[in-house]
Amino acid sequence: MSTLKVDGIRSNSATSDAITLASNGTCTANITNNLSNRNKIINGSMICSQRGSSLAYTGSTNAYLIDRFKFLNAHDGASTVSQSSTSPDGFSNSLKVDVTTADTSLAVSQFSNLGHRIEAQNLQDLGYGTSGAKTITVSFYVRSNKTGNYVFNIQQADNSYKQVSQTYTINSADTWERKTFSFAGDTSGVINNDNGSGLELYWWLAAGTIYTSGSSRSTYTTYANGDAAAGQAVNLFDSTSNEWYITGVQLEVNSSGVATDFEHRSFGQELALCQRYYAMIAEGQNSIIGQAWTTGSNFYSSIDLPVVMRATPTMEVSNWTNAFRAYGPSGGINVSTLALNSESRNNRVLVNQVGNPGAGATLRVYDADSGVYGKLAFTAEI
Amino acid sequence: MAFPTNPIYKLYTSTFDGVVTEMILKESNNIRINIPKDEANTDYQEYLEWVAEGNTAEEAD
Repeated sequence: MSTLKVDGIRSNSATSDAITLASNGTCTANITNNLSNRNKIINGSMICSQRGSSLAYTGSTNAYLIDRFKFLNAHDGASTVSQSSTSPDGFSNSLKVDVTTADTSLAVSQFSNLGHRIEAQNLQDLGYGTSGAKTITVSFYVRSNKTGNYVFNIQQADNSYKQVSQTYTINSADTWERKTFSFAGDTSGVINNDNGSGLELYWWLAAGTIYTSGSSRSTYTTYANGDAAAGQAVNLFDSTSNEWYITGVQLEVNSSGVATDFEHRSFGQELALCQRYYAMIAEGQNSIIGQAWTTGSNFYSSIDLPVVMRATPTMEVSNWTNAFRAYGPSGGINVSTLALNSESRNNRVLVNQVGNPGAGATLRVYDADSGVYGKLAFTAEI
Repeated sequence: MAFPTNPIYKLYTSTFDGVVTEMILKESNNIRINIPKDEANTDYQEYLEWVAEGNTAEEAD
């Protein structure tokens, strides 16, 4: 048996060691793949879309379709966001923005971007606000027929939206390109250890001059509207022929400047992470909500949420004639909607409605409205 | 109950076993939105901003 004694291992063409060996018998390796739990982005591969497969945006619409990614359409055009199967090798889905009504001349304050907010307590290892603040590397796959310069922007909600940005170029039409940026850690901006917004990521797709008149900031700088999208040359909404895709979004602690391979998680893992922010409990004809019982003139149903949600959740519930039905020994009663009664630990809720289906009833989605069946969902998005 | 369009919010209270819970209602595209009074809830944050602009929600029934 022999021992190889070296202080480092380095590629012939590299300027730094891939593996550095220390005198205490340990080593530090600059590994670019197969490290688990390094991606701070939830649903970066766009595989979870609990709210549906597509959503039309007109005017100043600001809403989620694909889990954890919120699209803002704040101009005179319109677009449809969908979960697309167009994707680079190794991925099954992407988020697609398809322009359906053009806005060829943006007003100064009009814009559109795609946003993703990361919960602050999940970013404590970045060490922001300390001398040891860590560099992060962001990577994603992007594709569009509309080549040109776009802006990627990060803002810190806990520090008056201090921001950094990078311009990136889509070089070839209709071709997947992986983009990678590194941002030095912020030694003066603490990310609070709470359930609020830690970092907010924005992919700008169009920006009026209010957002482009400043300078692109490569280090965290006090927020100014003019800096946010400085360098954004493309107006994706200048033609209904335009479309833009993104997937494989990753944000990792990484100072190498080289993004690691995208960290794929299973669908079950990704869905559970998404459900902390949005949980679809029942949707579609005859979907079961839960058991119900009657007290006085009301019936009640206790619902266990899949995971503890980020905050006390909002309940989103259909509201039309006979949208729901409670069926029990005393027969069935139909109701148009449900009311949120109380909640505990953000994972158990009580809903109620006037009516008496008797003891041991089952509550479910019932009649459709214009062909669409009802739903019951809870949201605690950041 | 006709849902208000202006103001866009309506208060409501519910009671279970003597415990009274106050929440806020909003409606959009046949979806009723039940908003709890939790300052970490972004829908409640939006409601508070709307109130801060001088608006008042419709009283509970």
